[in-house]
Amino acid sequence: MNRLNVLGSAALLTFIFGCATVPSALEQARQNYQRMQADPQITDNAPVAAYEASQTMKRADQTWKESGDEAEATHLAYLTDKRIQIARENARQKVAETEAQKLKQEREKIVLETRTREAERAKQLAESRANEAQAAQREAQARAQETQEAQKRAEAASDRARELEKQFAELKAKQTERGFELTLSDVLFDFDKASLKPGSSRSLANVARFLTENPDRMITIEGYTDNRGSDAYNRDLSQKRADAVRDFLVQNGISADRISARGLGEDYPVASNDTESGRQQNRRVQIIIMNDDGRRARQY
Amino acid sequence: MHLKKLPAFIGLPVFVLGVSLAGCSTVAPPKDSIAAAELAIRGATKSKAPEYSPLELRMATDKLDAAKRAMDKKEYTEARRLAEEALVDAQAAEAKAASEDASRAASDLRQSLETLRREAQRASQGN
Repeated sequence: MNRLNVLGSAALLTFIFGCATVPSALEQARQNYQRMQADPQITDNAPVAAYEASQTMKRADQTWKESGDEAEATHLAYLTDKRIQIARENARQKVAETEAQKLKQEREKIVLETRTREAERAKQLAESRANEAQAAQREAQARAQETQEAQKRAEAASDRARELEKQFAELKAKQTERGFELTLSDVLFDFDKASLKPGSSRSLANVARFLTENPDRMITIEGYTDNRGSDAYNRDLSQKRADAVRDFLVQNGISADRISARGLGEDYPVASNDTESGRQQNRRVQIIIMNDDGRRARQY
Repeated sequence: MHLKKLPAFIGLPVFVLGVSLAGCSTVAPPKDSIAAAELAIRGATKSKAPEYSPLELRMATDKLDAAKRAMDKKEYTEARRLAEEALVDAQAAEAKAASEDASRAASDLRQSLETLRREAQRASQGN
């Protein structure tokens, strides 16, 4: 009886004491559990693990309430804590995976944009290179054309030069430093006369034709006399003779601007004035076709 | 009977205590709990846990070993608790390793994205 009383009192004490003082592990688990329940990141992202934690929490509470078995309650509290930990880790994993997913999409977007931009740039580069090539080709063509034209011009020039040479030969022109000089041997004047003798017109017609075909050429006409008469008179007469030739050319369509005519009198005889035939040769007109580059005849 | 003369407030706790003690003595060997813990540890060992949470994994295996020793000594309650703890320890180790792995992957991605953004910006500035 006494022994039983003691035993019963001890059991009662244990029961009441256990009931009054919740094991610290269980108390801690409850706090952790409340914190987990209040964290939407965990409940939203790890609902399964959170549910398992809550089931274990219930078992721990129930065990403590019904049996007061401190060891088992502490054990279940440990399990609860671990399940809360698992829920927290699962949630963290889910958040990281969601972020990774977003980052991957963003990365793909950037890669795509970069590639698009690179392709665009490559295209532009190719286009600008094509344009450059085209421009170079055009330039080359233009240059080739220019060369061709220059060649044509050169050929034309040499044709003209040959033609000129032929014409000069026909005119029996003599190359001198002043230009081509021709003496119209059949342009003859009678003594003291400035009028062209008939028959002079054929060689003058050649000169007129030459000047028509070579419109850039300027000429100088120089009239001469024999030595009979005064210098002043002869100078005047030779001027009149030169003018007569100029008038003929002007009448045949040559611009007077291209012709200068002057009389040089009895100077520069080409033959002796002692004989009639010599004097005849001295009564003459010389035509100087000036060089193409515009160099003027040397003044006497 | 002497017991009949005992007040109820003493008899009930005695009865409860007796039941719980009897329960202790009739506890079956926790073979299922140990098998479950072994499975969980095997799974965790194959995960990233040995790399990222080796201490937690070690704790799980230590507890499993302790559970087996308790089994040998026929301390079945202790064995069950140790096995149950080994199970959640292993699961926690695996969960921690998985979340660590995911966090690192996200961090790497963040970094590579940052690099990519800088490069893209430099490229767009025409360099």
